[in-house]
Amino acid sequence: MSRRIATLAVLALLCAVPLVVRDDYYLHLFIVSGIFVVAVLGLDLIVGYVGQLSLAHAAFFAMGAYTSALLFVRLQWSMWLGLPAAALAVGFAAFVLGGVILRTRGHRFIIITVVFAELMKLVATNWVDMTRGFMGLPGLQIPRLTVPGIGSIDISSKERFYYVVLVVALLAFVLCRAIVRSSIGRKFILIRENEALAESLGISAFRYSMIAFVSGAGLAGAAGSLYAHYVGFVSPDLFNFSYVTIMLIMVILGGKGTLIGPALGAVIFTFLPELLREASHWRMIIFATILILATLFMPRGIVFPLVAHLLPQRRRTRHVGAP
Amino acid sequence: MSALLEAHGLTIRFGGLTALKSVDLAVGAGEVLSVIGPNGAGKTTLFNVITGRVRAVEGSVLFRGEAIERLQSFRIARLGIVRTFQKTEVFSPLSLLDGVAAGALARDDPDPAACAREALSTVGLLNKAELSAQQLSYGDQRLLELAQALAARPAVLLLDEPASGMNHQECAHIVQLIGELRSRGLAIILVEHNMHVVMTISDRVIVINYGEKIAEGPPGQVRADPRVIEAYLGVNQRADASAR
Repeated sequence: MSRRIATLAVLALLCAVPLVVRDDYYLHLFIVSGIFVVAVLGLDLIVGYVGQLSLAHAAFFAMGAYTSALLFVRLQWSMWLGLPAAALAVGFAAFVLGGVILRTRGHRFIIITVVFAELMKLVATNWVDMTRGFMGLPGLQIPRLTVPGIGSIDISSKERFYYVVLVVALLAFVLCRAIVRSSIGRKFILIRENEALAESLGISAFRYSMIAFVSGAGLAGAAGSLYAHYVGFVSPDLFNFSYVTIMLIMVILGGKGTLIGPALGAVIFTFLPELLREASHWRMIIFATILILATLFMPRGIVFPLVAHLLPQRRRTRHVGAP
Repeated sequence: MSALLEAHGLTIRFGGLTALKSVDLAVGAGEVLSVIGPNGAGKTTLFNVITGRVRAVEGSVLFRGEAIERLQSFRIARLGIVRTFQKTEVFSPLSLLDGVAAGALARDDPDPAACAREALSTVGLLNKAELSAQQLSYGDQRLLELAQALAARPAVLLLDEPASGMNHQECAHIVQLIGELRSRGLAIILVEHNMHVVMTISDRVIVINYGEKIAEGPPGQVRADPRVIEAYLGVNQRADASAR
């Protein structure tokens, strides 16, 4: 019961954000962190649950942004169609890529994901007829929302778009939680803990890694679509390595393999560099120091000390490195 | 007794090294077949071939008369051919219950927890079900491996040195467990260096040396085979055998 009350309290707090936060800049940070929540929940399925260090996730995010942007610019598809289309298209791309790389492990897997991300950046940069290259695709819009019985609502303001992002983030969380709590999620964890043993007992590491890879990529695609329409512009900069670095920081320092940890990480590590702006040129040095200290003193992520204290011993054993 | 699992002419080469050379074997339900031989003879490689971790360059493996040598390892496990490993393999941070449930989950068993409890009970670890695997002693971890395999409901169980590093009492427990599993109708292939265990529990013994099968038969017959004594049991034992 107390858990349910805590969940409702958190939901109420999240719903109250636009009512309490009147500063557009901070509201913008909430929206961006919500978009990152969707992306890193997907990354947590891949990195945290099946234990594959994918460096292609920012590329999936950018591909989702481009898919949605191109559908809007070329076919006038609104975000309501562009978002699921982006998720499906990126999921399909991950399925094709996964068919090749999910039979590899360790450094080979990592290298191929980096190469894939760079290749996608080259395509976005050099396929000028389609993507306008470095000039990017501007003019993307947030569509109106038609609600039966109410009519058409303008959701382009930050206050209203926040709720769109919140709903997508909550749906992503519920979806991921359903996956990891099902027998599929338990197989993810068994593969992560001992792949050879899991296979010898009848679990296909390839099949379940593929499920995580495709679902994770699909979520990154959906997040990319939200981002594109929110910012109104996409360019090849979205493929930059810094994006995947920050996503990995969110997942790993948040607490990989917990879902709630990476979600918290997305919020904390979106806000932190911005809150440190007061420190002027010391900003990134302080940020880096915080990252190093968090890595040293909270190796399982910021969420784990909370979980470890909240859960009784039996659940703690079962949930080591898992939700 | 009709064979549940058969291997014919299995040959494996790693570069210039022939790890297995035309090895045949057959094991039936309710039978314990032991495979012995010096270190590096090819015993674990034989397990790797049967369970699909390594592909044979020649030969075939038949399970209930169907060829399985081209199947992936997880598919072979799902058919009912399950192994343990020479080096202990467990799901370290997970509870025994969660780790042992793996075999049941792989079969999409509707109640993996009940299946895991049953397997843990068989090996005598049910009272430790909530502990994590890494909290167990080495001997208990070997039993845990056996429970993991049992939860997959094998028809053929391949045990790779289950008594390795165990004391006399633990070995006796392993022998008793293997006997119990045999009486349930499991076909068991046992790789083991502990000759007491092998001679006590086996129905038949195969001896491999440098990848070649050099003897096969009941334990007593194999123990007295001069080629086996020469290759594996040692010259002192040959003198003992002659004296007898």
